[in-house]
Amino acid sequence: MKRLALVLAMIALIVAGASAADKTVLKFLYYADASAASYSSDMAAFEKFKAANTDIDLQMEILNNAPYHQKLGAYIAAGQLPDVVFLWPTSRDSSALLHDHKLLKDLKTVLPADFLKNFSSLALDPNNQSSHQLSSLPQTFTYTTTVYVNTGLLKSLGLKAPTTYAEMKALVPKLKVKGIKTLLLPDADGWPSQSCLFSTVSGRLLGDSFIDNIKTGKAKWTDKAFVDVLTFWQQMYTDGVLSKDDVSLGYGDGPGLFVSGKAAFFVDGDWRVGNYLTDKATGKALISPALQATDFDLMNFPAIAGELNKNSVSAIAGTGLGINKDATGAKLEAAKRLLTWYYGKENQTMKWETGAFVPSRTDLTSTTLEPLAVKLPAYYKTIAKTTYVIDGATDPSVFNILNAGLQGLGLGAKTPAGVAAEMQAAQNALKK
Amino acid sequence: MVAPLRNKVETSRAYWTFVIPAFFLYLLVFAFPIVLSVILSVSNYNGGKLFGGDAWTIVGFQQYEKLINDPNFWMALKNNVYIVLISVFGQIPLGFVLAYLIYRKIVKWGEGWQAILYVPAIISVIVLGMMWKLVFAPNGVLADVMNGMYAETFLTSLKHIVQSAGGLTHVTDDFVKQLMNISNAASLQSFAHPVSDLKDLIVGGGYTDQNLPVFLSDMKNLLAPTWSPDFLNQQDVSMVPIMFVTLWCWTGMYLILFHANMQKIDDQIIEAARIDGASELQVMWNVIVPNLSGVIANAAILCIAGSLNTFALIWAMTEGGPMHITQVLAIYMYQNAFVGHPNFPLANAISLAIVLFSFLLIGVTLYIEKKFGGKQA
Repeated sequence: MKRLALVLAMIALIVAGASAADKTVLKFLYYADASAASYSSDMAAFEKFKAANTDIDLQMEILNNAPYHQKLGAYIAAGQLPDVVFLWPTSRDSSALLHDHKLLKDLKTVLPADFLKNFSSLALDPNNQSSHQLSSLPQTFTYTTTVYVNTGLLKSLGLKAPTTYAEMKALVPKLKVKGIKTLLLPDADGWPSQSCLFSTVSGRLLGDSFIDNIKTGKAKWTDKAFVDVLTFWQQMYTDGVLSKDDVSLGYGDGPGLFVSGKAAFFVDGDWRVGNYLTDKATGKALISPALQATDFDLMNFPAIAGELNKNSVSAIAGTGLGINKDATGAKLEAAKRLLTWYYGKENQTMKWETGAFVPSRTDLTSTTLEPLAVKLPAYYKTIAKTTYVIDGATDPSVFNILNAGLQGLGLGAKTPAGVAAEMQAAQNALKK
Repeated sequence: MVAPLRNKVETSRAYWTFVIPAFFLYLLVFAFPIVLSVILSVSNYNGGKLFGGDAWTIVGFQQYEKLINDPNFWMALKNNVYIVLISVFGQIPLGFVLAYLIYRKIVKWGEGWQAILYVPAIISVIVLGMMWKLVFAPNGVLADVMNGMYAETFLTSLKHIVQSAGGLTHVTDDFVKQLMNISNAASLQSFAHPVSDLKDLIVGGGYTDQNLPVFLSDMKNLLAPTWSPDFLNQQDVSMVPIMFVTLWCWTGMYLILFHANMQKIDDQIIEAARIDGASELQVMWNVIVPNLSGVIANAAILCIAGSLNTFALIWAMTEGGPMHITQVLAIYMYQNAFVGHPNFPLANAISLAIVLFSFLLIGVTLYIEKKFGGKQA
C-alpha cells in the first residue's frame, strides 16, 4: 500500500512538473498602493488575467513607494531585472537607470501600431521619456499639482476658495482661529514639495525656458529670477499658508489628515484622487460619494502675483509598464500579451472607474464614475498650459539638492541664495 | 574519556580539519566582499550585466575624492561620532554604574530593574524608532504637552485682559495691542496691518460675553505662543533625540554584560576593601573597574561596531532627514547605493570609509586598554 502511494505521489509530481515546464515564467515587478481604493479591483483583474492565460506563470512582486525603488535598484545592480516592470517615464529614482542604460525595449517596435493608435499623442511621444524611446507606455498624463479643497469646511466657516495667492493668504487667520491649517503639504519624504507644488510655482513664475537655458548654460540657478522663486517659497511658510510642521509629516499622512478636517486645502498629484474613492472590495471610501459631490472639490493653485504662465501646472507623462530588453521568444510573447491586456479597454476602464487615474487611452467611456473622479477632467480644463516637473527635467544630483533645500527653506534653516548656490555647484559638477 | 592525540601529524591533521572549512567560509563571507568592495570603489561599475555598453574599468580614486568633497559625508561622519560618543561614554558608564548598584544590592529589586532596563534591547528598533518619532515630532506628545502649558499661560493672561476691558462689548485698539503683546509673533505675520486686521477679525467674529469660551478658544488657536521642537531641525542638535534613544535602548545590554562579569569577582576582595575603610565609590573605582577593564574594552569594541552600523533606529525616526542632517554613514551609503540615482562605486567607497573608521576607533580602544587597563577578573 505504501509503495502504491509512493508511486502515485511520484506520478503526480512528474505530471505537475511537466505542467509547470509548459508554462512561460514571467517575472513582473509592479507598483501599487494597498491603501488605494483601486487596489482590490486591480488585484482581482490580475487574477482574471492569470486565469485566462494558464500558459503564463505570472510571478508578481508588488511594492509601493521607497521599497519599490530600492528593490528595483537592487535588481538592476544584481543584473536580475524582471521581465516586465512598472516605471516612471523620467529619471525619477530607480527609473533613471532603466532609461539611462536603455534596459527596456522600445514599445513602438514591440506593440502593434493598431493597438498604439488608441493612445493620446502625449503618451506616445518618446521625448516625454528620459530614454527618448517608448520605454514604457504612459497609462496617463500626470498633473503633479492638484489642490484638493474641503469645500464643506470652507462653507461651514463662511469662506470661499481663493482664486489668488493673496486671497489664500487672507484665509490663514480665519482658518487658524478654528485650529485649521490652510494648505497641507507633507514633505518628510523630500520630493513632494518639489514635485507637487514648487514645480508649478517655478513654471508659473519662470516658465520652462529657464530650465532649458540652465541646460545650455545660458542661465544659472543662482540667477535672481530663480532665487526670487525660492524666496516666494519661503514666504509661503512665513505667511502661514504652508506649515513648517508638515516638513516632518510622511507623504502617506496627507489624505487622512485632510479628510479629517485638519486643513482646508491639500496639495498633491492628481493620482491621489484614487485614495478617496470607494474600495470595491470593502465598499468603504475615505470620502463617501455623497460627500465627494457636496463637500470636496479639486482646483488649480491660485494665481501668484507676477506669474508669466497663468493657470499653468507642472505635468509629466505618467507611469506605465516596460519590457526587459533581453526578453525574447515565448517570454516576449507573454510580456506582450500582459501589456496588451493591461492597457486594454476593460482594464483601463476599471482603472478610471476606481480612480487610479484618467487613462491616456482615448477610446474609453464610463457611466459609473464617482463624483471626485468626474471632477478630475473638469479640473484639467482649468489648466491653460503644462510646465516641467523639475525632477523630470533636471539631473538627480541637482533636484535632490532642491528637495532638501525646499525642506530647509520651510524650516528656516536655509536661505534662498544658499539653496541656489548649492544647486549651481551640482550643475557645474555635471559638466566635469 | 577522549584519547589524547598521539603525534604531531595527527595534531596537525585535526587542526587543519577544523580550520580549513572555517577559513574558506571566512574568505567567502568576509574577505571576498571586502576585496570586491575595494575594487568596485575604484571602478566605474554602475550595475549588473544587463547594462551592456562599455565594460567596467578601474578609474582610480575619483569616488574617494568625491567623498572627501561632499559635505554630506562629513556631516554623516560627525553624526556617527556622536553616536559612538554616546555609546562609549554613555551606555558603558551608565550600564556599569547600574550593574554595580544591582550587584552590590544598593538598590532593591535588582532583578526587576535588570529586566526593565533590558526590555528596550529586545524590542525591534523599528518599533522603538516609530514610538520615539511620535514623541519628538512637531505634532507629537512632547509638543502637545508643551503647547498645553503655553496655552494655559496664554489663556490666563487673555482672561485678565478681557476682564480689565470689562468684557468683549467694546474692542478697542488698546485691547488688541494688549492681546498682541501676549501673542505668538509668527501668528501676526499673516496680517498686513496687525492691529486693524485683528480688530476686524474679532469684531467680525461676532464674539460676545455670552460666548466668551468660543472667543478664548479661537484666540488660543490663532495667537497662543506655540512650542515647536525647532531645535531638532538644526544640524548637530538634531542628533540629541537620537542619542537619547540610543542611550535608552542599549544601556540595558551593557548592564547585563557587566553584571554577569561582576559575579566572577571574588567577594573576599570587596569585603577586604570595605574592612580597610573603602567607600562604595572607591570599591567600584579601585576594585571593580580594574578587574573588568578587559570586559569594558570588549564592550567598547561592541559599542563602536554597533554605533557605526546604526541604521534602522535612525531610519525609523527620521530617515536621515530633514535636509540629511540626521544622516549617518550607513544611511548615506544606503542612499547612494539604492535610492534615487545609484552610485555603486561611491557607496563602496563609503562602506570602506566605515570599515577604516571602525578599525581606527577599535585600535584606539585597545591601545587605551593596554596602557591603562588592569587585569580581567
